This record gives sequence, C-alpha cells and structure tokens, in this order.
Amino acid sequence: MDRRAVPRLLIALAAMVAVLLPGAPAFAHNALTEATPAKNAELKKAPDGVTLKFLQKLNPDYTVISVSDADKQKVATSDPEIDGATGSVTFDEPLANGVYTVAYQVVSTDGHTVKGSYKFTLDDPSYVAPTSAAPSPAAPSPAATVSRAAPAAVVDAEPASDSGSSSALGWIAGIAVLVFAGLAGFLFIRRRKA
Amino acid sequence: MAGLGAAAAGGAALVVRPGDPLPASFTSLGTGEATIGFHGPRQAGVTTEPPAHAAFVALTLNRGSDRDTLRRMLRLLTDDVARLTRGEPALGDTDAQLAVLPAALTVTFGFGPGLYQAAGLTSPVADLPGFSIDRLQDRWSGGDLLLQICADDALTVTHTQRMLIKDARPFAAVRWVQRGFRRSPGVHAAGFTQRNVFGQLDGTANPKDAAMETAVWAPDGSTTLVVRRIRTEIETWDLLSVADKEAAVGRRMDSGAPLTGTAEHDEPDFTAVDDTGLPVMPDFAHVTRAHMTDPRFKILRRPYNYDEAPDSAGRPDSGLIFASYQADIARQYLPIQRRLAEKDLLNEWTTPIGSAVFAIPPGCSEGGWIGERFLDS
Repeated sequence: MDRRAVPRLLIALAAMVAVLLPGAPAFAHNALTEATPAKNAELKKAPDGVTLKFLQKLNPDYTVISVSDADKQKVATSDPEIDGATGSVTFDEPLANGVYTVAYQVVSTDGHTVKGSYKFTLDDPSYVAPTSAAPSPAAPSPAATVSRAAPAAVVDAEPASDSGSSSALGWIAGIAVLVFAGLAGFLFIRRRKA
Repeated sequence: MAGLGAAAAGGAALVVRPGDPLPASFTSLGTGEATIGFHGPRQAGVTTEPPAHAAFVALTLNRGSDRDTLRRMLRLLTDDVARLTRGEPALGDTDAQLAVLPAALTVTFGFGPGLYQAAGLTSPVADLPGFSIDRLQDRWSGGDLLLQICADDALTVTHTQRMLIKDARPFAAVRWVQRGFRRSPGVHAAGFTQRNVFGQLDGTANPKDAAMETAVWAPDGSTTLVVRRIRTEIETWDLLSVADKEAAVGRRMDSGAPLTGTAEHDEPDFTAVDDTGLPVMPDFAHVTRAHMTDPRFKILRRPYNYDEAPDSAGRPDSGLIFASYQADIARQYLPIQRRLAEKDLLNEWTTPIGSAVFAIPPGCSEGGWIGERFLDS
C-alpha cells in the first residue's frame, strides 16, 4: 500500500458515510419533545389540561390532541390551542381518578403525519367520586380546585405510526460508521507500524 | 372491448408473438367506430362514461357579439358536432378521412357568464369566489364558450378541436385549451374508477344512477360545469411515505378503500377511533372534508389528468383538469370547495391555477342547435 492510499481510503469512507446517513426528510419530521402531564406521570392533583411541545411549529388545521379514559371514552376538551410549536387543550370538567391516554396527530412541515400517544394516571387522595345515591352539589369541590399539573418533563413518547424505517436507517448508518472507523483506524495503525 | 376486459379481469395475459395472427379483439374496430348520440334533451359528455382523451377549449367572444352572431356561430358548431359525432366529416372538412373513427366522440357546449351578457340575458352561473388556496392564472381561467371534446382516441379529439376552432374563428378567439387523459379503453373493466397522476383512485364518491340524476340535472335538461386546473406538486408528494399519502387523502392508495374500510366503495366511518382515541379518518383528510352523503349535495366529478413537458430540471408539470357537473354550483360545489379550502391536508400538494364556470344548456333535437331555447327568442 503506498503512502497516498490512506487519505484516499479516508475520503472514500467519508463519502460512504455521507451516502449512508439518512436523507434530509428523516430529520424534517416533527416529534414530541415535552409533555404536561408527562408520560407515565402519577398525578396527585387533577390537571387543567394537556400541553404538548413539539420540535416544529404546529399548523392549527392539522393538529389533533385527544384524551381518553381507561374505558376509551373521549374526555371533553377544548379545541387545541396552538402557540408556535406548542399545542394545548383544557378539560371541560375536572378529571376523575384513573388512567388516561393522551394521543396526538400532527403534520410536519414536510407533510409527514406524526401520531403518538402516552398514558398518565390521576390518583388524587382527596378526590371524592360522585355517587348517584347521594348527589351533593359540593362533592367535587376539592378536585375542582385544580392546580397546574406536574412539571414538564422530556417524554419518550411512542410514535404510533412514525416511520420506523428512518430510525432503522439511522442505526444502519451508525453501525456502518463505527465499522468503517474501526477499519480505518486498524489500517492506519498497521501502516505506521510497517 | 368486452372481450379484452374479461380477459384482463380473469388475469389471462394476451401475448402476441411476431407473425402470429392477431386475436379477434385486437383487430376489431369496436373502440374506433363507437358513437354516442348527440341529439336529445340533455347534452352528451356529462353522465356518459368519460372516454380516454379530452380537450377543454374555452373561447372569448369577439367584441360586439350579439344574439345574431351567437345564433350563427352555434348553428354552425352544432352542425359540425352532429356530423363529427356520427363519424362523418364536418362541412368543408379539409381532412375528411380523420373524421371516420369517432371513438365515442362527444362535444359538450358550455356557456360562460360572458355569453349571456353578450346575448343580453341573465347568466345562470357566476365566476367562483376566490379561495385562499387559489393561485389562478388568466391563461387557464374564464371563457365565454366552452367546448368539451371527449373521445377514446387522441387523433379524433385533435381533428374535432381543429374543425370546431376553425369554424368558431370568425366569432371568437381561443382563450385556453386544456388537453387531458384518462386510462385508455380496454385497459381496465368499464366502470373502474380512474387514477390520477398522484396514483389515487379519483371519483369513488361519484353519485350513481338515481342519485346522479338528482345531483346533475335540472328539470329542463341543463346542468353546470366547474373546470379547475389543479397543479400537483409531485416533487414534494414524492417525499411522502404511503402512510403519509393515505393520511392526507383518507383512503388506501392501493384499493381506494377508506381508512376505516376494506373495499373502495365502503362508506367511510368518521366516528371510528383507534386504540389511542385518535380518529381513524383524520379530520383534515381530503375525504373527510369533501364527503357528502345527501345526493342533492353531491357533485359528479369527471376529471382528466394532464402532463405537460417537465422543466429543464426535470420537475413535472402535471395535475388534474378537475371537471365537476352539478345541477347548482352554489348549492353543491361551493360548500364542498369552501370546506376543502379551509382545511384539507391534500392542499399541501395541490394548487388551483385555473378556474372557469359554465352553464351547460339542454341538448337539441335533430335539426336544432345548442342554445336555441335561449337565443331564438
């Protein structure tokens, strides 16, 4: 191997890495970055609503945020309010204790539709379930004095229909980079020893 | 044609090797000799099965046109059309041999607001209001007289267009011509929903039979036509995955089934939600926005694809010559179009660049002419 072979090899490797890296569209997809209540949060106080922050600006026309209870019944909320990359809904009525599913469907600037969902649990010790036997107008008062939910946390949301192929491509590219870097290092070291 | 359709449906491949005798269905002139009657209380080319090729020719009347010039022009053009649709040359046809294969030729006359104005009559149609999604160009918009020329053969359309423009020339100027195409006869079974250049099945929700009668025809045998030139942004559409395309449309790309169904003609279920509570038919999907169940509010879509030369960078110039027939534009077309303009994810990849409206007057009997009921008084 002559002396110029190593730089040439490195250029070839760089070119291969560039080719193998996922193309621009994979990075242009929108994704959830922050959610309140957070994923799997266990709340002691009922939240006023749900706030979801995304990577990209949201289009109000193409943003759906839905909350449903353990029986898969839709919880009544306001229409999504959009502020830049943040979308939020407020609950029409204070939530009862239970497990809730937050689901969202947004459209990236490139038109790619992103769906995802996560759960949170409300377990308010002061919550009194309304009973049909003795309906009291004052019954839900502790729960009615709701406060802002748990602080925002970065969520590891599960994108339901987000393209798995682009992340798979990312893995392949990553592994390829490591393999080629190792190979290059090996060749380089061998050359210096020689 | 029926033989070919049956063979295709059965999945049997017809392979003809050089030197073999052609199968009977290949040598039959069925397609070329087919005719569609021109005379009758309603014009042809509306609820008749759309043939493969179309030219939409819009004309601007000469300044100073009046009922008298309109009568002369429409008598002449009606006579040409009556002959050409029978497979006979027009009077003074300079290439008579091109007229002998009508290939299901229809010519449908449409009157724009300007024609009624020239005749001193109140127009039953008015230009559409502007929509936020519009990027209209004059070169594809408006028109006083429309000739919708349709046939299963492009040369027949070309010849008919040439003859009619030649005879219209003393009365009017050509404003725009839009040539379009659909699948050719024999390519798939009759009644199959066509695909547009985006690969979508296009026209699934069209009214049929009795519903079509209600949706399209006024009692006097007239109807109306909206022609919109809708550019498809193929470059950005190509970046989408199949799932993205289906979310934008609300239908499966392969079968045309709604996302809540399994077959093309399944009725979409807009209340269905998935495991996480999201609507299966997205609220912003084209089908969700355009859907109408009451036949009185449906429109008959009779669109054609267009595909002009790409630019030097290879970017396509393709789209849809959207053509819809409905008894009443204000009652049927406008509510749908308003909903689509307000919210429809498909708008991200489609741009209306032309728009025109025409009244389609009733047909005429043998010896009569199109428009006689309005203009002969």
